[in-house]
This record gives sequence, C-alpha cells and structure tokens, in this order.
Amino acid sequence: MLRLAAQSATGTLHRALAPGNAFILQPDPDARAPAPEGKNVLPYALRGMAVKDNITTLSTPTTCASKTLETYRSPFEAGVLEQLRSCMGTVVGKTNLDEFGMGSHSTNSAFGPVTNTTPFERISVGGSSGGSAIAVATLQCDMALGTDTGGSVRLPAAYTGVTGFKPSYGRISRWGVVPYANSMDTVGILAPSATSVMSVFRCAIEPDPRDPTSLTGETRSRIRQSITKSRKRERARRKRLGQWESEDDDTKFMNVRIGIPVEYNIEELDHGVRSIWKDALEIFQVNGATLVPISLPNTKHALSAYYVLAPAEAASNLSKYDGVRYGSRAEGWREGTGHVLYSNTRGYGFGEEVKRRILLGSYTLSSEARDNYFLKAQKVRRLVQRDFDRVFAVPNPLLPTQHFDLSDLDESTPMMDKLGPPQVDFIVCPTAPTAAPSLQYVATQNSVDTYMNDVFTVPASLAGLPAISVPFSISRQHKRRDHPNYTGIQIIGQFGDDQRVITIAEKLEAFRDARNLFRTPALQQFAVKNGVLDELRKLYLGEKENLAPGIGPRIEKILLDRKYHPVSDQNRQPWSEYASELTPEIRHVQTYGPRESRKPRTDKEISRDLKAALEIWEQIKTSENNDP
Amino acid sequence: MARFAPAVLQRYLFGGQLLVRGCLRHMRHAPQTAPSLYSQRYHTTQIENTSSANAPDITIPFRKQLKDEAKQRKADEIGKKPKRDNQRLDNWELTVGIEIHAQLNTERKLFSPATSTINDAPNTHVALFDVAIPGSQPTFQKETLIPAVRAALALNCHINKTSRFDRKHYFHWDQPTGYQITQYYEPFAKDGYVTLYAQDGLAREDGEKIQIGIKQIQMEQDTAKTMSQPGDVHLLDFNRVGLPLIEIITLPEIHHPSTAAALVRKVQTILGAVDACVLGMQSGGLRADVNVSVRRRDAVGGHEYGGVHGLGQRTEIKNLSSFKAVEDAIIAERDRQIDALEAGEVIEGETRGWTIGSTETKRLRGKEGEVDYRYMPDPDLAPVVIGDDLIDHLKETMGVLPDQEIETLVEQYGLTAKDAMSLISLNDGGRAEYFYNTVESYLRNNPDEDMSKVGRLCGNWVLHEMGGLSHLDASEENPLNFTEAGRCLITTGKLAHLLDLLGKSKITGRTAKKVLNEVFESALRKVDETPQEIIDRLGLWFQPLSDQEYDELAKSVLDIDIVNQILAGKIGKINFLVGQMMRKDADGRVDAQQATAVLQRLIEEYRTN
Repeated sequence: MLRLAAQSATGTLHRALAPGNAFILQPDPDARAPAPEGKNVLPYALRGMAVKDNITTLSTPTTCASKTLETYRSPFEAGVLEQLRSCMGTVVGKTNLDEFGMGSHSTNSAFGPVTNTTPFERISVGGSSGGSAIAVATLQCDMALGTDTGGSVRLPAAYTGVTGFKPSYGRISRWGVVPYANSMDTVGILAPSATSVMSVFRCAIEPDPRDPTSLTGETRSRIRQSITKSRKRERARRKRLGQWESEDDDTKFMNVRIGIPVEYNIEELDHGVRSIWKDALEIFQVNGATLVPISLPNTKHALSAYYVLAPAEAASNLSKYDGVRYGSRAEGWREGTGHVLYSNTRGYGFGEEVKRRILLGSYTLSSEARDNYFLKAQKVRRLVQRDFDRVFAVPNPLLPTQHFDLSDLDESTPMMDKLGPPQVDFIVCPTAPTAAPSLQYVATQNSVDTYMNDVFTVPASLAGLPAISVPFSISRQHKRRDHPNYTGIQIIGQFGDDQRVITIAEKLEAFRDARNLFRTPALQQFAVKNGVLDELRKLYLGEKENLAPGIGPRIEKILLDRKYHPVSDQNRQPWSEYASELTPEIRHVQTYGPRESRKPRTDKEISRDLKAALEIWEQIKTSENNDP
Repeated sequence: MARFAPAVLQRYLFGGQLLVRGCLRHMRHAPQTAPSLYSQRYHTTQIENTSSANAPDITIPFRKQLKDEAKQRKADEIGKKPKRDNQRLDNWELTVGIEIHAQLNTERKLFSPATSTINDAPNTHVALFDVAIPGSQPTFQKETLIPAVRAALALNCHINKTSRFDRKHYFHWDQPTGYQITQYYEPFAKDGYVTLYAQDGLAREDGEKIQIGIKQIQMEQDTAKTMSQPGDVHLLDFNRVGLPLIEIITLPEIHHPSTAAALVRKVQTILGAVDACVLGMQSGGLRADVNVSVRRRDAVGGHEYGGVHGLGQRTEIKNLSSFKAVEDAIIAERDRQIDALEAGEVIEGETRGWTIGSTETKRLRGKEGEVDYRYMPDPDLAPVVIGDDLIDHLKETMGVLPDQEIETLVEQYGLTAKDAMSLISLNDGGRAEYFYNTVESYLRNNPDEDMSKVGRLCGNWVLHEMGGLSHLDASEENPLNFTEAGRCLITTGKLAHLLDLLGKSKITGRTAKKVLNEVFESALRKVDETPQEIIDRLGLWFQPLSDQEYDELAKSVLDIDIVNQILAGKIGKINFLVGQMMRKDADGRVDAQQATAVLQRLIEEYRTN
C-alpha cells in the first residue's frame, strides 16, 4: 500500500510527517515478511528496510530529493534491493537525503531538511544519508541503506549514534543507484549494531553483471585467496620473531595490529573526539591488540582531491537530466540563457549545492583547468591509495606487488625494525573531527568549511576501502552544551577485507558496551555494597593480573556472551537509546537543557539502573557457581 | 497559377534557386541549387604547371599550337582549369586531414545488449542505458571489438593492448546522457596507414602511389536519429543511439582534393572487404569531417596538427556524406581560405558546413562558440584489454585485402590494374571468383600455357565480352545473374571450353563471340547447350581456305597501281592488301601469314611477266 506522507505547500512535493522528516515516502511502514528465520535470510528483526531515495525502487518514485525527479518512477529495481528482498527484506520507506547525495548535513533536499529528534532539533544529523541514519536511530525501520561517496553513510551514523558501514568499492551492486561520483559511490548499510550490519552485508554481496564495476565472482575469490595467503605469511613471520600469541580467546584482539595515523591528530580535532579516540584505542590495547603509530602523509591533500574529483564526475553524471526523456521540464525554454533548450529546466530542477558542484566540476574538467585540477587530483588519489597500501600488512589484492622505498617515507615515520615501518591490520581514527554541529553553526560556514566534516572519511573513499563507523559516547567533561554526546570511531581495512572490518567492529562494540556498563554509577554502587568495587576497578583498568583468579575473564565472558548481551538481537534497541537508559550522562538532555539544568536524577531512574546492574551481577554470579 | 517576382524568376533560371515559402517549406532539405556537372568537373582536378614546356617567345603556327594543346589535354585526360587557379596553387599548398565515422557491423550496441537495426520501427531497440535512465550502467559488448579490430588491422594500425573509454560532454537532445562515450586519451588503435594507387582515383600530382598516415582509430557511440517535423517539432528515434562507430583520424598529409575523396572511398572499400562495416556512404553508414588549411609554399605556418608542424590555421567542415561532397567541400574551402589570405584577412579556427551542390562552405560556429568537451575517463567502464590471441586470430581469418588481390591479378594473371579493379569490385567479388574458376578450368585443358597469357585472355572475356551481353529477358542490373559466390548463367566450364576452342584455332574470334551470345541466350531459355553443340548446330567450325580460294581472293584485291608501288620498293603496302583480303572474307578465315605468302607469289609473277 502506498501512503503519501503529505503534500508540500506548492502541492507537488510529498512531505513526510514522520518524525525527523526522515522519509520522503513510506509505502508501508510496518511491513515485514513473516517467513521463518533461515540461514540465507535476514533475521526477522532486520527485515524492515529504509532505503535512501537515490536507490531505485519499483513500488515508489525515486526522487533523489531533487525537483528534477520529483515524480520520477524508475522502470527497474536496484540490484541490491533485489538481493535483499529475496532475503526477506521489505522496503518500508524511502528516506530523505541531500539532493543527489551532495551535502554533509541532509539539509539540501527539495523535500525540506532532515531534522534530528527531540531535543536535538537544532543539531545536524549528518549527510547525505541523514534520513536513513535518523530512521534507524529513531526506530522507524530496522536497518537502512544509504550511499557513501565521501562519507555519506559514516558521517550521519556518527552524528546520530548508529553503526554505519561503507563496503569496498564494487562489493555491493550499484545497478540502480543514481550516480553522484561513480568512481567512489558505494551502497552503505546503517544499522543499530555491527552485528546487524554483518547480517545485512551477507545478504547483499552477490556479484551483479549489470554493474560493470561490481567485483566478479572470480575477482572475489582471488581477493579472498590473496588475503588468506598474506595473513598466513604474516603469521609465520611473527611466529618466527616470537611475536605471536595464542588465539584461544577469539573475543579479543589477539595478534591484531591497530594503526593510529599520526596525521589525523589535527588541530581542529575536538577534545571530546580525541578522548573517545583514546578510549577506543585503550579498549583495543587492553584486549590484546598492538597499537602502532603510522603515517599517511597524503591525507592532507585527500579532501581537496575529493572535492575536485567528485564534482567533476557529478557534473558529468547529472548532464542527463535535461527534461527530454523523463523528469520535470521547465516551461518557456525559449527564454532560457542563450536560448538553449535545457537551461531553464536545469536551472529550475537543481538545488543550489548541486548547481555549485556542477559548475565546479565543469570548470575542473574544462580544457584550461583540467591539467591543474582534474589530473592532479587523480594523482593525489593514487598517492592516497599508495599510503594505505604501504601501511597495511595485507597487500592490495587489486594491484601487482608494490615496493615501497624507505627513502620515500617521511622522516618522522616510526620504524618497526630495520625493514621498515610496522604494517597494520586496521586503521582506527575518528569518523569526524567533531561531534554533530548545530545547524545554526553550519549555516554560518561557507561551503568549503562544510566540506571539512569529510576530512577523515574521504581518504577511504578515494582508495575504495571498507570502513565502518562505530558510535562512542563522549565523557561528561568534554560534552558540549546542547549537543549530543556521541560520535563515531572509524575502522578502515584493506580493500576486500570487509568481513574482518565488521567483525572487529562487532568486538569493539561489545567491549564498549561492557565498559559503559562498568562505568554505570548504579553498578558501582552495587559493587560497593557487595565489596567487589576493587575488582571492578581493576577489570575496568585492564589490570588483569591483579584480579582475583578467574573472575575477570568470567565477568567479561558473560558480558560478551550474545545470550546476556544488552543488545541481543531479540531485544534490540539503537545503541543511543539503551545507552541513555543505562548511562544517564550520555543522553539525558533534560539534565543539561538550558532551563532544567542539573536536575537530580529521580528515584525511579536510579532504581531502574540499579535493577539492570543487579541483573547483570546475578548473571555473573550464576556463571561463577556453574563453573566446575 | 502562382506568379513569381521577376527577381525570383531570374534567380531560378540562372542559378537554379527557388525561394521557398509556406507549404513548400519541407523542400528546404533538398539541395537548393541544381548541381552543375560542368562547374564541378572544372574544380575537381588540378594540372601541374606545364607552361615551361611551351616557351612563349618562340613563334608557333596557330594551327600547330591548337593541335599541341589538344594533345596535351588528351594526355592529361582532364578538362580545363583556369589559369588563375593554377598560379595560385603554385603559391599555396593545401593540407587536409580527414576524420571518418563508420558504423561497425555488429549485432548489438556498444554498451547495451539492445540489437542494432536499420529500418525497424522507431524506439523498439532501446535498453535502459541507451536512454540514460538514472541508475542504469553501461555494459561493454565485447563482440563489437571484432569488426573494430578487423578494421584497424586492415588499415595497418598498431593495436593498443589497453585502451580506455572517455566521456565527451555536450548537450544535445540526440545524446541522452549528455556525453558521448569515446576513446580520447587512449584509443584502441593508432599509427596506421592507407596506400592509395593511381587506380584508386589519386590526384595526378600524387603519382602512382601514396601513403596517408592514420593517427588513430577510436570506438565511440552513435547518437539518436532526429526526425524534424513541420512546426519546430523534433521526433527522436533512439534505435540508433549507442550503436558502435569507429572514428578513423588521418594525419594531415593530404594535399589534393581528389586524393581526399579517393582516401574516403578506399577506406570504405577496405572496411567493406573485411566485413567491419556494411553500410557505405550512400546509406549513411559512413560520414566524414575534413580539416582544411592552406599555407604559402615559401612560408611556414605557425600551427601543428597531429604532429605535423608548420601548417596554416585550419577549419573543420563537418558531416560530409558523399565522396563528391568531400572533394567539393575541400575545393570550396581551399579557395575561400586563399581568397581571404590574399585579401589580407586572417583565417579563424572555426567549424563550417557544406550543402551538397553549393559552391561555398558556410560558417557554423567560431572558436568562441566551440564546445569545451570536458573529456573525462568514464568511471564506470574498465579498460579494454585486447589479447594477442584475438589479434592473431583476426589476422588469420581476415582474408585478402583488395590491394593484395589487385597486386596478384596484375602480377600473376597479367591483367591491367584497371581491369583488376573492375573485376574485384563487380558483383560483390563474384566476378573475380568466376574469373579464377575460368582460368583454373582453362588451365586444366592446357596445363602448359603461360599463366599471364591465360589470365589476360580470360580477363578480357569475363570482363568485356561477357560485360557486353544483354537481352530483353535478362535483368537490366545483372543480366548474367552473377552471384557473390561466382556463379552465373554461363558456367565457367562452358566459357573455358569456348576459350579452349578459340585458343586452338578451331573457331575464329568472331565465331567465339557469336557462340558466347548463343550460350547466353540458350541459358536464358533454360536450355543446356554446350559451345560444341552450338557450333555443330550452326556449322561454325573453322575451315581454312583452300589454295585456290586464297588465289581468287588475292586476285580480287590486286590493284595495278599498288603492285607497281610494291615493285618499286614500298614493301609495306603489302599489308594493306592483306587487310583488304581479310575485310573481304566475312567469316574471318583468312590467315594473315598465308595471305601474305600468296600475295607475294602473285606479285613476283607480275615482276617476271
């Protein structure tokens, strides 16, 4: 059933009534395929998909949030949707976005901006997949598809507190994805947790012959082999050097090397963001990973290269919207600039940001500017990719073996041994330099400043690498007034290493949740009462050796066990939601709101938190008793 | 009846132009002036300046001068050429580069599996990508490489192992995506050449043979077909959009208009011969753009095109759709540029148009109106990698190119280049096939005969004698019903048999022609009759004259005056008498040697008497 959400003032645009203006159209918000669970289908709790409105669907128009396509109906369905629907997914709505995916705050939509939920109405949700992100965060769908060209999935995920994944370029079919910049466009997944991302990802990665950039089955198996082989080689090498530890505990990050790009510690980095970056790294280190500072020297040029390449491709891709074969056509073409047939149509149909990027792209491709901009930017793109290939232990499976000369490296690059700098499995950095900014602040920025938000997401896009944004909470002392206290930590892996990136994110999320649990005042109160505060503190600090024998691992094991996990699939909640229940400092706005400042917590809240903590403690104790 | 203003009438009568208004509007697309054959021939060829041969200060009788001039003209085989132009061409050098767009002979479009058609109902063969439906993507149809690589090989090009597709941006309603996918940065073939021979219609100045370099060949998409209707309505047929084309870009190495036309014609022949393109210029499968520049022979221009330096400013004439248009447009543009330069003007780099039958090129747009195509590598399309195995396979299966075949026909079969050209161009190669079979079966009966002699004999009969056959019951176009495979009404066996009889002097040449006609007519009546049977039936076997008959015939032509002349020493006059004897004998049975002998004997008798 098709339900038009609302009509715009002019009577032509469909406006969504749903909270947050997340949807352009909701055909059937509650539809879920009830068929049984199975091996190759989506879990029931993930079947309601919200789909960004630049991915074509048959049942509804596909508008790309543009006036050009305001009534456009696609004659075919996107390849990724075919796959997900065959896995029991149902489209519950088409979500709002920045027109054609161009923007970082989901405000450039012909259907009005996407707004954040109470009390953050004045805060950006990020873009361009802001509608998809907020729909997941506010439980209006089970999971959502977005598109990520330069961070359009990861950024809104970080700003709304959900998990957002951008796969390797070519992993998920782009057939039916209206292109913005084809060489970087990917279909991304937004979900409450990395575990859900994995379930969706598994159902969406069939090769699609209709997409010429979709990796073929042959290439995929070659990539798989290449990764397995190089991991084996790395393992043998480390064993020889005596650097290999047992991998008995697969919940931990044993033998994982995490790279910390020193260039990402930029001046503009928010204190709060820097502290959660530290938090995340601490979790990795405490749980067995090796932290390694690495150098990605060309990152500083990546953003400029992106904003040359993406508009160039956009200008090219968007030249098809001329109103001749489909889409809206403006009246009175004869009066258009230069009496050109399309000038009025294109002037009428496109929004300001789209026009800006078309002009920018047309200029950088023009014969006078091409050498200085477009070709230079392509070279930078190569350098960025080379930077990544140099630091990853797994070589790029798409390229022949590359040799990196030590003399090319920056002097400050730390060396691992005489062979060169250390090589890592993953790179961990913030998703964005700040937490979600206020829209008011965004409005005062010029467009170049706005582009700054993408500084950490763009490099992975240029290199086509898989990257995931995991939400983290900013501690009380760094939280900004009226702003949400969460943002994202990004994990980047080598090309084709998608599954491992998601798996690492799953583990990170589990440890993050456990850590948040330990931080709960209620749990601490409980611990004081029971005289185990000291043990808890040691556990929290990772002083495992000082812990009473057996207790630490057991506590952690229980906390990590899917059965007792606070975000088990059966009882799923967006992380931001449950986090606010358990840890009031994260999202209890009324506490920090301008009027009701520092209102003491009610008894009801305290007792609820206490109850949750008690339950967990009970589980820990039971498991201890069950131990032989 | 409508009345025309005198001015209009005058223009119509003298210029062949008619002012069109109102309901006659649609005629606009027809040529506005009737092409004058005379004026065009007048332009098509240039003669070398031969004035130095006739030094002007020596007095020559007027009659002799006229005679010599006529001889010279005949030798040059051309019409006349105004002196003014000759002198100008002494001072100016023309340089032409050509871009030829040819439709590849493929089943599918370049980037979609939609089938390629010529005459189907509009918009019936269109895939999503062809009309740029949002979210659709191109799928390169690798089968299109086969004719493309064949064409490149036939044009002696180097095949690039890796080539890429680029987008060339411009807005037009016949281009749905807003860009044409072409190969700008890395084409699939480059550095080839075409060899042109005199028989290809080369300008005389270029001599017997010339090589024109090919800079590159690229694959690209065709546009949609626009059907303009009255009232500013344009209908679009997307069947054609996305069909694969190759663009062949020559180096600016052509200096004569007729050579340019010969090049385009030759390229069409070659592409047809290797089955790369099926449609010729006449059906719109081939279009040409020409770049024209001139420079003073004693000066160096400041421009460089395709690596050739020192050229003058060039202009481009787009969309020429016939060989004649290529030649005429170049002449008109050359003359315009020389006029402009001599008047002290400057040539602008601009795009010009040409209408068939006109005498001038028309400015379409100048440099300021040029589209910046904003070339960009297509991010959806992977590079095309062509393997050596494909190239080798196509090389092996390509067959013989026309030039090679002509060479064989000339060198081994003893034909003239002209006859060889006619042979292979007639009946889609069927005539040549027929020729080979005839030679073969003739040689079977006469294995010792010289190949080139047999070739010349058979060539003469297959081409000229058989070419002259016609009959009311036969089709006008192809009276012998020649097929591509080399079959026709007269089997090669019958022709070879007939030639064999002729060669062995069993019949005379005149009889052979008669018998050939009989064989043709009986085949038309579907009667199977061998040459032998026909000769038997008509009693045409060659019977040599008896000595007595020779004597009688010789006596009848003897003239006392001539005999006296011969006796006085003018021995050559005897041939005149032999000729008389042959003319008198209607059946052609007179043998020249015997006749001479008889005549000599009789004349000797006179002397002794």
